[in-house]
Amino acid sequence: MTNYLDLELKEIHELLVSKKIRPTDLVKEAFLKIEKNKLNDFISLNENALKEAEALGEVEADNIFFGIPIAIKDNIVTKDLRTTCASKMLENFNSVYDATVIEKVKEKHMIIIGKTNMDEFAMGSTGETSFFGNTLNPRNKSRVPGGSSSGSAAAVASREVVLALGSDTGGSVRQPSGFCGIVGLKPTYGSVSRHGLVAFASSLDQIGPMTKNVYENALLFNLIAGKDEKDLNTVENNKDFTSLIGKDIKGLKIAVPNYYMSDVINAEIRNKINEILEILKNKGCQVDFIDIPNLEYAIPLYQVIALGEASTNLARFDGIKYGFLSDQEKLEDMYNLTRSIGFGAEVKRRIMVGSLVLSGENADKYYYKALKLRHNMVSNFKKVFEKYDLILGPTNTDVAYPFNRHLDNVLQSFYDDLLTIPVSMAGLPALALPIGFNHESLPIGLQIIGNYFKEEVIYELASFIEKELNLDLRIGSDK
Amino acid sequence: MLVPTIGIEVHAELKSNSKVFSRSKNDFNDEVNTNVDELDLAYPGTLPRLNKEVISMALKACLAFHCKINRHMHFDRKNYFYPDLPKGFQITQKDTPIGYDGYIEIKTDDGIKKIGLERIHIEEDTCKSIHSGKQTLLNYNRAGVPLIEIVSKPVISNGKEACAYLEALRETLLYLGVSDVKMEEGSMRCDANVSLKEENSETLGTKTEIKNIGSISKVAISINYEIERQKKILESGLKVREETRRFDDKTETTILMRVKETGNDYRYLPEPNIPFVNIDEKWYNDVLDSIGILPNEMREEYSTLGISSNNIATLIANKELNDYYRSIYKKTDPIILANLLTGDILSHLNKNNIELKDTHLKEKDILKLTDLLSKKTITSKQGKEILPSLLESDENIDEVIDKLGIKSLDDGALEKIVQDVVKANSQSVNDYKAGKEKALKFLVGQVMKETKGAANPEALNRMLIEIINKIN
Repeated sequence: MTNYLDLELKEIHELLVSKKIRPTDLVKEAFLKIEKNKLNDFISLNENALKEAEALGEVEADNIFFGIPIAIKDNIVTKDLRTTCASKMLENFNSVYDATVIEKVKEKHMIIIGKTNMDEFAMGSTGETSFFGNTLNPRNKSRVPGGSSSGSAAAVASREVVLALGSDTGGSVRQPSGFCGIVGLKPTYGSVSRHGLVAFASSLDQIGPMTKNVYENALLFNLIAGKDEKDLNTVENNKDFTSLIGKDIKGLKIAVPNYYMSDVINAEIRNKINEILEILKNKGCQVDFIDIPNLEYAIPLYQVIALGEASTNLARFDGIKYGFLSDQEKLEDMYNLTRSIGFGAEVKRRIMVGSLVLSGENADKYYYKALKLRHNMVSNFKKVFEKYDLILGPTNTDVAYPFNRHLDNVLQSFYDDLLTIPVSMAGLPALALPIGFNHESLPIGLQIIGNYFKEEVIYELASFIEKELNLDLRIGSDK
Repeated sequence: MLVPTIGIEVHAELKSNSKVFSRSKNDFNDEVNTNVDELDLAYPGTLPRLNKEVISMALKACLAFHCKINRHMHFDRKNYFYPDLPKGFQITQKDTPIGYDGYIEIKTDDGIKKIGLERIHIEEDTCKSIHSGKQTLLNYNRAGVPLIEIVSKPVISNGKEACAYLEALRETLLYLGVSDVKMEEGSMRCDANVSLKEENSETLGTKTEIKNIGSISKVAISINYEIERQKKILESGLKVREETRRFDDKTETTILMRVKETGNDYRYLPEPNIPFVNIDEKWYNDVLDSIGILPNEMREEYSTLGISSNNIATLIANKELNDYYRSIYKKTDPIILANLLTGDILSHLNKNNIELKDTHLKEKDILKLTDLLSKKTITSKQGKEILPSLLESDENIDEVIDKLGIKSLDDGALEKIVQDVVKANSQSVNDYKAGKEKALKFLVGQVMKETKGAANPEALNRMLIEIINKIN
């Protein structure tokens, strides 16, 4: 089997330009790897991928993404491939339109290899809530890949594709990127159009690039970022986010919240982070440990706001217009059965919690109070960024753990997102970057949090660390 | 004594080009389910956009009704499950209605009364459900059509006032050009809240809500029925239940729909996909400037012009006719023009069930006809003969007059004939001067003969006397 997909994007592009390989070679390799790896990381494979690649055979490779295989999380709608959100509810759902990010991907003649497995409606942090079964962590198949963008992380980590798109509401790009050892960005809220992203929590959801290195991540972010009239919360953004890559990091001011380095965090992870901080200090960065007030409220805040929004975002799934329908004589039975059968346990749990916090007097007690606290969290982060360029900490509290750990404690799964949720609440950008492995060869991720719309500074530091560590992140390379 | 308290909620569809949150055409009446896109169908991943035209129209209505304006406003989600609600929630405005604290003036038997407005907010319409047998069909053309909901304060005293309120509201929205306000077609809908209380009591009684009222006149009937119904209950010592009742057209009564339980739980939350809307100074002023003259001012103006109160009412009630009237009334005799439009022309339109724009009437011709009538160059009887051809054919007024053989006489031509007749009949002139009234009639007859009856008798009389008096 060929190994072109292990190469860097630039190298693959050069091979395509010089016609040493063709897009079909890449697609064939992708399908072979998927078949061999058996990670269950795809829900649907694009049966037309080879045909599409063939059609590109005679065309000049006019851009860096030309002919490159990409995987799409299955909550981003595609006209030509079903979009299931890993739910029975949408098992056979075909969108009538392409998401804005898909239009951009297609414009560059990328080849969509398939739609990746995920937690149902992006609700979960292990991939275990998928209607289509667990996604396996390519680094250790007995471990969860993280979630909810489980399949996208696994597919990039195992080099089945070059690039992938995920979505992040409370950590769904960063956490699996950390667990699988890839680079994943949760962009500033409003950077990337959500048009065509099936909504979980509208005020938090962002589509993010998932790649094997920092530079490719910035390139893919360049492509998908920008104002879209179909998403009123997007802003104009024509920056080149690779612009600071390779620049001297001397003088960067870095804050490390004490909350992010507490005893709750796996000691091996903390040690790795400290090693990185030492390197940065030696390179002339200012590194300060600081306190950010109210971070401890982030998870309850998330449960109120994200689940509140989710409960209404998912109200449209009633089987009347599309999706699963349990046809009943009585209207009420139809609603009850369609939604009882169509949704999995975690989704129903979250809808119920979300409905509860918005219901009657609870709305003031929980939801509107949470909105105020969220406001406070935003200003606390803003204060930090008045003095610092970046905030650093781990991505996850732990490394990838075995399946079924949360079976009898559903609350626990939210604590996987302890370190990613505060960032989401504030709408800030953050990148998960692999910085090494633990004693079991499981990846450890650093989280680099930037100021609003300053992803280029994140990439500046991330690419420096990446170069400095020079890790071999291929599966089986076993550092 | 028990006195009624009535509050009215009106939903009016705004006639913007496209829907409020999608780009689909805003026209419910097109073929079923043709004005629909993925957003109207609540396809996963779709996000609302915001139609600024809708905000301008709503703002216009708010300003016309003297409302205070929330210049910094947002939208909210109202959650409930029903098949006609594609997203499972309606986007509306709960906390920041675009307008609040306004009023509408109505005429009552006791003079002018101000009906206070609690609020006016923007929201989206649902699908139209069509129930047929066991099936329910949905027409998504209506899903996302912009609405304003206008909520009055509970200050209306009876059915008659309610009608006057609705008429005034309807008329203003119509003249603002923001809504078709046809209750019969559903572009204006009205729910009435009715309760009774002891005259001196501060607290309101338990209210019932009447839905499904199909016309303004039925509003009075349903309210009066409901007042009597509640009165009987209270007078027999029982309590009124808080419930929603439906107006039944056939029996002209209200019928129980559902008993209100602990109040609906709509789980409102701010709509996260639509940023706050800021109505800046320029936007506000542009909309304010776009408000033209409204019916009450027109009434005063027409009255000053000397137009009869009947004709004023007819003009205002027929907006197309009135718009036409206003476009030309300054160029001619406004009273005669009003007579023509509200008389023969309107009955022609009604008889043929057409609108003014469907006729062949040309501005130049109607102006000339008005002038001829005004100067009494032709008789009103001749006017009536001329008019049908102006409405139905492309002939201009001169051609019509020729065709009908009506000798249109301007004053000069008539005077010449009169002079000739006077000269030729000096005996009769002398007789008239001597006091013989009959002689004048003879002279009139002679002129009529010469003009083949085209002269206006009154004008002719006046001219004859004038000319004779000049002869010494």
